[in-house]
Amino acid sequence: MEHIGLTHYLIVSAVLFCCGIFTTATKRNAIGILIGVELMLNSTGINLVAFDRYMGPGRLDGQIVALFMIVLAAAETALAVGICINVYKNLSTVDVDSASQLRG
Amino acid sequence: MFRSRFHIIALASLGVVAFSAQALAGEVAGYSDVTHAAASGSWLEVGLFYIVAAAACISALGVCYSKNIVRMSVWLFGALGSVSLLYFMLAANFLAAIQLIVYAGGTLILLVFGVMLTSKSPWARFEPRKIEILGATVVSGTLFVCLSLLLTRADWATTDAVVAGTSMSDFGHSLLTTYLVPFELAGVLLMIVMVGAAHLARQDK
Amino acid sequence: MNSHTYEILLALGVLSPFISFWLLVFVGPKLGKPLAGWVGVILGMGVPLAMASYVLLGWWFGEDAASRAMLGEQAFRYHWANLGTVPILVGIKLDSLTIAMYFMVTFIAFWIFFFSVGYMSGHSDEVDGKSKYHRFFAYLSLFAFSMLGLVLSSNLLFLFIFWELVGLCSYLLIGFYFHERVPQYAQMKAFITNRVGDFGFIIGLMLVYFQLGTLDLDDAARIFAEQYAAGTGIFASTFTMFGWSLATIMGVGLFCGAMGKSAQFPLHVWLPDAMAGPTPVSALIHAATMVAAGVYLVARVFRLMTPEALMFVAAIGCITLTLMALIAMVQTDIKKCLAYSTLSQLGYMIFGLGCGAWIAALFHLITHAFFKAMMFLGSGQVIEGCHHEQDMRKMGGLIKKMPVTAITFLVGVLAISGFGIPGTNIGLGGFFSKDEILAVAWVRTFDWNDYSRHEAEHGEHHAASVPAIDSDDDASDNLNGNHKQMLLASDPQHGDSHAAPQHGEAHTASESPRGLKPSAHGDNAHGRAGIFSHVPPMPKWMFYLALFTAYITPFYMMRCWWMTFMGKPRDQHVHDHAHESFMMYFPLIILAVGTCFASYFLFRDLISDASTAATIAPMVLATDGHLHTAAIAAAHHWLITGVGGSFVVGFVIAILIYGRGLGIASAIKNTVGIQQIHTILDHKYYIDELYHLVWVKGCLCIAHIARFFDTWVVDMTYNTLAKLTERLAAFMGLIIDTHGVDGIYNGIAETAIGMGEAVRRPQTGRIRNYVLFAAGGATVVIVLMLLYWGVGSPEQVAMLTP
Repeated sequence: MEHIGLTHYLIVSAVLFCCGIFTTATKRNAIGILIGVELMLNSTGINLVAFDRYMGPGRLDGQIVALFMIVLAAAETALAVGICINVYKNLSTVDVDSASQLRG
Repeated sequence: MFRSRFHIIALASLGVVAFSAQALAGEVAGYSDVTHAAASGSWLEVGLFYIVAAAACISALGVCYSKNIVRMSVWLFGALGSVSLLYFMLAANFLAAIQLIVYAGGTLILLVFGVMLTSKSPWARFEPRKIEILGATVVSGTLFVCLSLLLTRADWATTDAVVAGTSMSDFGHSLLTTYLVPFELAGVLLMIVMVGAAHLARQDK
Repeated sequence: MNSHTYEILLALGVLSPFISFWLLVFVGPKLGKPLAGWVGVILGMGVPLAMASYVLLGWWFGEDAASRAMLGEQAFRYHWANLGTVPILVGIKLDSLTIAMYFMVTFIAFWIFFFSVGYMSGHSDEVDGKSKYHRFFAYLSLFAFSMLGLVLSSNLLFLFIFWELVGLCSYLLIGFYFHERVPQYAQMKAFITNRVGDFGFIIGLMLVYFQLGTLDLDDAARIFAEQYAAGTGIFASTFTMFGWSLATIMGVGLFCGAMGKSAQFPLHVWLPDAMAGPTPVSALIHAATMVAAGVYLVARVFRLMTPEALMFVAAIGCITLTLMALIAMVQTDIKKCLAYSTLSQLGYMIFGLGCGAWIAALFHLITHAFFKAMMFLGSGQVIEGCHHEQDMRKMGGLIKKMPVTAITFLVGVLAISGFGIPGTNIGLGGFFSKDEILAVAWVRTFDWNDYSRHEAEHGEHHAASVPAIDSDDDASDNLNGNHKQMLLASDPQHGDSHAAPQHGEAHTASESPRGLKPSAHGDNAHGRAGIFSHVPPMPKWMFYLALFTAYITPFYMMRCWWMTFMGKPRDQHVHDHAHESFMMYFPLIILAVGTCFASYFLFRDLISDASTAATIAPMVLATDGHLHTAAIAAAHHWLITGVGGSFVVGFVIAILIYGRGLGIASAIKNTVGIQQIHTILDHKYYIDELYHLVWVKGCLCIAHIARFFDTWVVDMTYNTLAKLTERLAAFMGLIIDTHGVDGIYNGIAETAIGMGEAVRRPQTGRIRNYVLFAAGGATVVIVLMLLYWGVGSPEQVAMLTP
């Protein structure tokens, strides 16, 4: 059997990242964009933990940064959802193309 | 609530896969002193990795593909769970647990609540333009190909050193010594976010 | 009191009118009618007069002769700037001539300022609704500043600057009534005529600057003498013009300035016209002080004059004094009559300087200033009293209405005519000064060879017994050797010893005029006498003309006085209005007293005091009332008895003709022969017409020719060229501009617009597009890394791996 190494994890991470970009770039729903962002964040999480595992085992640096990443993601989600709700309250939709009052 | 049988089956199978994988991973790597080096290369680990990786990739692609926000959420749940499993396989047990609890249990629920609160019809669709989809496909595809090439070409200075699975006490120790300042900052941040979110979401009087 | 005290006081006296000028310029209109005038009187002239009086008294009573000479030597010098390599020293020329002139100017000017306050109050001085009253006194103050500065200057350059300033003031004041036509032309005429003279002055200045290498009066004189002794510098030049050497040209050039300012013969035309100015101005500037500046200049540069130059000076003076006196005989305008009289008297002064009567000429300047100022003020009083009537034919009998004016005027008439009792020292100013000029001229003309031989024999005796001239005690070192008066009559004790060596030279010179060099006495410094070893006798016609004019002068002055004040009133209207006022006749009384007493006793001695140093020159002849050197004394005695009584003849003739109205006069005028002469005189020898023909018409003629040339040659060429250029430009514009340059610019502009459009397109405002762009950018970077930079390639990996 082949050896499962760092590269395998990184490729999975790349898949998630590209999917996150695609999602962010194609969804008009604000929450859809948020989901894309979550995907990208998770891909970085995989990266961090994989590098921690394969390049500096026992030091926990990557894992702790990943932990902070999760914290930040949670915080970001909370705020973003709050914003989405407010946008919805004001515009009765979550279509980001409608939120264009500032467009020149 | 789910109209299609497909969704139910997918979700259920994902759940089964996740829990079984978790159990297996725990069996293989997590809760024993068996070294990774010993475990690596075993059919179990390889097979398990491919299964989990495939689950993660499929879930991510599902997110991309879905037009419906609720389906996207479901697919995201799968992706998050798969990532959690990957954490287990990388001997990051605590982090994997956190991933499940915070992401799958917290963030995703938050998103679902958001979906429900913001849409009279959760099935509402906002179609992007064709050119946007085409551009996104080209960019993300190219990016993936290039990244893959880079990653496979790179000769990572990896080590095969054998370590025991990290324990929560190690985490706690690190957080309160080396990473004390970011830790406290994260606490402050969370508090601010809590206040901010409450402010944003509160009802107008 | 030391010399610095004098200098400071005199300098303050110059500064005061300058301050007054600016004060009146800026706050004059606010001061109003009488006050501005009084500011001018007090600040503009009162202060300088006080300074001058103080210095004069201090000088006169506080110093002995030796210390006076020394004080002049210590004069203040300030190194102001360099002109090339020549340092320009600002300084004060302090000697008794300076003080005499300073006092004369301030004294006369003060009373004329005083008079002006009364005179101007009666004149309408509004132009365009603005009062010019303060302006008059501002100009007067500026004039006072300039004139006093001129008198004090120790440097020819500064003298020239102040010279031009007084010219400016003259211009401004002649044209004071500039809203009328006549003053406008008069002021321009005065200014332009003076420029002609100043041109010569500048040539003289340039020669002094280049040949003598200094502009300081004393230094220039010293260097001039040294160069003569060594035969270097200006005397080494072989350049000649009109038969004059370069040294002579320098003297004549400087004299040209004096000809302009003192209105000598060819340039005299401006002075009669200058009478268009207010009468106090005529009195101050065009009779007493400014016109005397030319005489003062000649006196100051006397040491730079060669005998040829002095001969030229004498000739010009002689021509002027005669011609102008003749014109004065037929003038009917009271001011014009006085103006021509002034010209004639200035001619006397210049003539005197040319003869070598340095002391007498300057003395005449001072006495003349007193009585001429007084007479002009008197005429101003008459004109003012008669409602601006200036024609004497309409006056007459005014003595009843204006007794004070008439009597003071008569004093002036007597003074200018040389009234005095022969054989005594009783007489008015002109009696001494004019007769002394004539006496010197007589010696120079008739007795010159005998006189110089006699003196030479006398001097040889002394030369044997007093071999070294350096034993002279009161002559300073640099003046010592040049102290060559043939006679210093004012200083009889020293006169002989001064005269001794150089008379010896004069003697030998008279036998072999140019053959003698200064080495005759073996002393280089003695050489100065040599330049005058060939001083020629004066031509006889000069003396005869001067003598003749001495008879004419009393005639025209008495004619003027009689026509104005005596006889029956010829115009009842004028007569009825005649009056006089205190403000105006008070100065007349003061000046009359000055004429009677002060002039002789004060100024004669002051001037002769100065002559020692101021005329290193050679040929100063003089006499005074007490001691006569034999020949001059004889001449003077003869003249005083013979000519000194000339005024009687003149007066008698004048009274005979004009005693009973104008009938006899007009009868004489209409006599055949006399009539033609009268016409010529009445037209002033047609000199103005000649100038108009030659200069004005000549200029216009040249201008027309130039205009023709300009129109048909120059303009034609330019127009043709311009048309050609225009055609070429149009063609080139079509080819290059429209298709080339415009094309480039339009292309650039359109490219910019297109780029703007292209850049604007991606700015969709949609967040997801931006995400895509960012990701696309990152992708491109990664592609580049892979393709070109070889990131991750085996080679690089190998290189990076430790």
